[in-house]
Amino acid sequence: MAKIGVFTCWCGENIARHIDVERVSKAIESLPGVHCSMNYKYMCSEPGQSLIIDQIKSLGLTGVVVASCSPHMHLKTFRAAAQLAGVNPYMVEMANIREQCSWVHADKEEATAKAIELIRISVEKLRHNRPLQPISVPITKKALVIGGGVAGIQAALDIAAAGHEVILVEKEPSVGGKMAGLSETFPTLDCSQCILTPRMVEVNQHPKIRLMTYSEVEKVEGYIGNFSVTIRQKARYVDVNKCTGCGTCWNGCPNKRIPNSFDFNLGNRTAIYIPFPQAVPARPVIDSSRCIHFKNGKCGICEKNCAAGAINFNDEDKLITEEVGAVVVATGYQLYSIGKEQSNPNLSGYGEYGYGKYKDVIDSLQFERLISASGPTGGEPKRPSDGRVPQKIVFIQCVGSRDNAKGVSYCSKICCMYTAKHTMLYKHKVHDGEAHVFYMDIRSGGKKYDEFVRRAIEQDGALYHRGRVSKITEEEIDGVRKLVVRGADTLTGKPVTVEADMVVLACAMAPTDGATALAQKLSVGYDEYGFLSESHPKLRPVETNSAGVFLCGACQGPKDIPESVAQASAAAAKVLVMFSQDHLTREPEIAHVDESLCAACCACVQACPYEAISIEEIVDRKGNHVKNTSRVNPGLCMGCGTCVAVCPSKSIDLEGFTEEEVYAEIESLLS
Amino acid sequence: MEKTNTDQTFEPKIIAFVCNWCTYLGADLAGTNRLEYPANIRIIRLPCTGRIDFNLVIKAFEVGADAVLVSGCHPGDCHYNAGNYHARRRWILFRELLEVLGIETERIHFSWISAAEGAKFQKFVTEIVDKTRALGPYRGYQSITHESEER
Amino acid sequence: MEYQEYQLRETAAKLLEEEKANVVIGYGLSKTGKVVPVFITRPEDAQKLVWNSECHQNLVVFLTRPEVKRLGKPAIVVKPCDARAIVVLANESQIMRHEVYVIGMVCEGVNEDQGRPSSRCAICYGHYPQNVDQVIGEAEDAPKDLSKEERRKTGKYQRIEEIKALPPDERLAYWKREFSRCVRCYACRQSCPLCYCNRCVADKNRPARIPTSASLQGNFAWNILRAFHLAGRCVSCGACSAACPAGIDLNLINLTLANAAEEQFDHLSGTKVGALPLIGTFSESDKEDFIR
Repeated sequence: MAKIGVFTCWCGENIARHIDVERVSKAIESLPGVHCSMNYKYMCSEPGQSLIIDQIKSLGLTGVVVASCSPHMHLKTFRAAAQLAGVNPYMVEMANIREQCSWVHADKEEATAKAIELIRISVEKLRHNRPLQPISVPITKKALVIGGGVAGIQAALDIAAAGHEVILVEKEPSVGGKMAGLSETFPTLDCSQCILTPRMVEVNQHPKIRLMTYSEVEKVEGYIGNFSVTIRQKARYVDVNKCTGCGTCWNGCPNKRIPNSFDFNLGNRTAIYIPFPQAVPARPVIDSSRCIHFKNGKCGICEKNCAAGAINFNDEDKLITEEVGAVVVATGYQLYSIGKEQSNPNLSGYGEYGYGKYKDVIDSLQFERLISASGPTGGEPKRPSDGRVPQKIVFIQCVGSRDNAKGVSYCSKICCMYTAKHTMLYKHKVHDGEAHVFYMDIRSGGKKYDEFVRRAIEQDGALYHRGRVSKITEEEIDGVRKLVVRGADTLTGKPVTVEADMVVLACAMAPTDGATALAQKLSVGYDEYGFLSESHPKLRPVETNSAGVFLCGACQGPKDIPESVAQASAAAAKVLVMFSQDHLTREPEIAHVDESLCAACCACVQACPYEAISIEEIVDRKGNHVKNTSRVNPGLCMGCGTCVAVCPSKSIDLEGFTEEEVYAEIESLLS
Repeated sequence: MEKTNTDQTFEPKIIAFVCNWCTYLGADLAGTNRLEYPANIRIIRLPCTGRIDFNLVIKAFEVGADAVLVSGCHPGDCHYNAGNYHARRRWILFRELLEVLGIETERIHFSWISAAEGAKFQKFVTEIVDKTRALGPYRGYQSITHESEER
Repeated sequence: MEYQEYQLRETAAKLLEEEKANVVIGYGLSKTGKVVPVFITRPEDAQKLVWNSECHQNLVVFLTRPEVKRLGKPAIVVKPCDARAIVVLANESQIMRHEVYVIGMVCEGVNEDQGRPSSRCAICYGHYPQNVDQVIGEAEDAPKDLSKEERRKTGKYQRIEEIKALPPDERLAYWKREFSRCVRCYACRQSCPLCYCNRCVADKNRPARIPTSASLQGNFAWNILRAFHLAGRCVSCGACSAACPAGIDLNLINLTLANAAEEQFDHLSGTKVGALPLIGTFSESDKEDFIR
């Protein structure tokens, strides 16, 4: 027999002013199953909770309804109190008579009547509740970090520093990500590689980190604490264990004119190559699509020259399976493509800027390589078309960003800062050069950020024009090819035309190409642009709605280096919180299947957003097939209940929101 | 909420099925902001719109609801990634069924109300109550129930 | 048709002889001369099989029955409409398609009792069976697939349009009249090849979703439930309408949903091997105009 206690809260005056709590308590008393009904000024306070605990103990209550605020506010509080008194926490229900009653209805009569009904709903539900036990899941204390840019490196190092094993997967031949290619960083102008390369070396040498470059995540199975990840290690054709990184191979490779994607095609590399001199690991890969040996079986100079015998033309992709307990996604960003060819049909690109048509119109990451000391020009700002040092550069901000018509609606956040940096770096190298910037607004929130932009304008003399560029044409002026940039300055209200030697486009940040496919493998949500979704924008910024999967860096949204690093450490901290326990306690409000009745039609299997349901065979003692049934993996199920709605025979039900409980709630409203 | 026979004092009974993460929180926000609306609505909290089975809507009419509200997260915002998309497809088909059976679809309201849309919740509930008040008691479905009792 | 019957008997005998099937589910004659389902297990009994215009029952319903499963590997005689149910059963993993030998009959329409044309023929998709292992009958003059427009010309669809054109209260009144005759015998459920649940929700009482007695309220709830559970699944074989002893044209409701599935989701149940269930999947671009 249910012995239910109903505790109605005044919430000071918040409830009591609009609801006659005394009348509510009286009316509830006579409901079936209700054993005691009382009210108190503050149920959530220490004396309020004590009142509940005392009543449970003295009357032997089996369940509790607290009529007070939203369950989002205090359900945990009252569940904990009930547990202290020996009542199963899932035998506690709340009736929300504050947010959804006293605060929104002025008429005391109506509000009181509604409060009684709301409590009646909760009492009826509770009469059908079952005690539930939290689910305990063992944890594999090993983490997978996907993406070896600055965010992934930081997360991996932090987790490893706490003594846990980490697998760091990077799709390129080297870790370092976009940051490894940057020149100097705002607002301090310290050299990007100087601060990053020691950390790159550290991840490679750390005894707890297994670095897998030139690899991609192929498949993810399992659930929080117990993921099984299949990683494709692409054929490198170089045995990294034998290779010493001496460089004889790439120095001797005859195929030297292959555009280097690390330099965004401004420089060249060989067919056997390391993407940049400081690459980690300093072990080359052979680009089989360009290598002469793979075309005609000849050449093989690298193989002949390699004293270590590390070249293996017969290498193949390898699939490696690893068991991990947590996943950190740090797949970073790429630039929005400016050309007319767009993978997203909603974007149209900026054909009028001539990117791809005019050699000297480049994007911001290309400019980074041009002014980087380790870049293809050794840090000399030389224009790609003829190698001349540009005397006038036009920088255009918001190319793609904040443009609903042709680009993306969001602000890419970092472009104002790096454009200011670009003007400075350029002016430091070409003292008499002119740096023009076309901008919409300057957004320079951040420590020492606005001061930095002011410095670019006031000390280094960058010329800022508030307005958009309408068109760029290439014209020959006095025997030199110039880019004529036509725009407007909306502050003076006049058109501006600049005959520039080079144009740099600050393109929007976009998620990397494979990010959404990866998100699908991990059951992580993403927005219309493909940025991965955090669980809560403010309170759970590095968690995802897929338990055990965390985010950091620009895969979640545009952000700069300090933010990416901070988020990476936050994600690592979340992983470490998980790893501080041997078992994970999960909410028991998940789906379960009545296997004797399931007809295995697979509707639930299809519908489950978490792939938590599988079809299993039931066999008798002799091993003969009896039937198939669906089965819920308690580690994966998040408790949405979509499976229940699609199950025709209702052989699957959701604990905490069972059919019986919900029907009882509705039936309590019978008039 | 006693239902009276005279339409002048008719107080519609509205049962709402809402998801825990968006609309329920939107309703909470309406409360936090003290946005007043009629007291005719009874909210039943479910984890996700994906859980809201058509049977529950029918049951609500069986217990005498004059209108039903089903509400959850906007497309793309589902706490469980896709529950609302599943729900949307089912509702598209379910409405076709109700339509041919002559069950008044203007008494079943669907909406996407986020945790930030307290004002939308207030406005929507007020509209539904006004509209249902104008429609009067749902004698159609109630007649099915009553005829069953008379038998 | 007689030649078809001859071919069918030959085929069945051969299948049993060669042990490609242990049982042939087909049509035969009762002692009173009525066409009834038969389960032939011996090659010599293949002569008992018949094929005529009275073979209206959808035999696919037997494929999921435990007592039939015990007879061994089945071969089954199907009409084009019945064949679509096999596709759905396989898609819903209720049968292993390769474990069933499907004999598809080219069909020019069947009659229910007393020579009355079967209501299922009023929603014909085509006379030529699809996705079967063997076709029996002349293919030349049998239209393979009726287009959506051709199918829409049939009487059933017009009936739906007529009902839809009524004001809501008259629509409700119509169904109240119809459903008040329902005695909840569940013949509709028994005859439906896709109602294969181990225990129907209508038979569950915690909670009781549907009042168990044959009250009007329960009849509405049951018929809504039945129809919606078949949404995107019903192949319009018409077995439910044929089975209803109260003569309620239940298939009209299913057909409404099938129409909606085809119009809005381009989903025609039972025509695509490997199709995913309509309910249980979604598209981010599903269109609606009623969610505020």
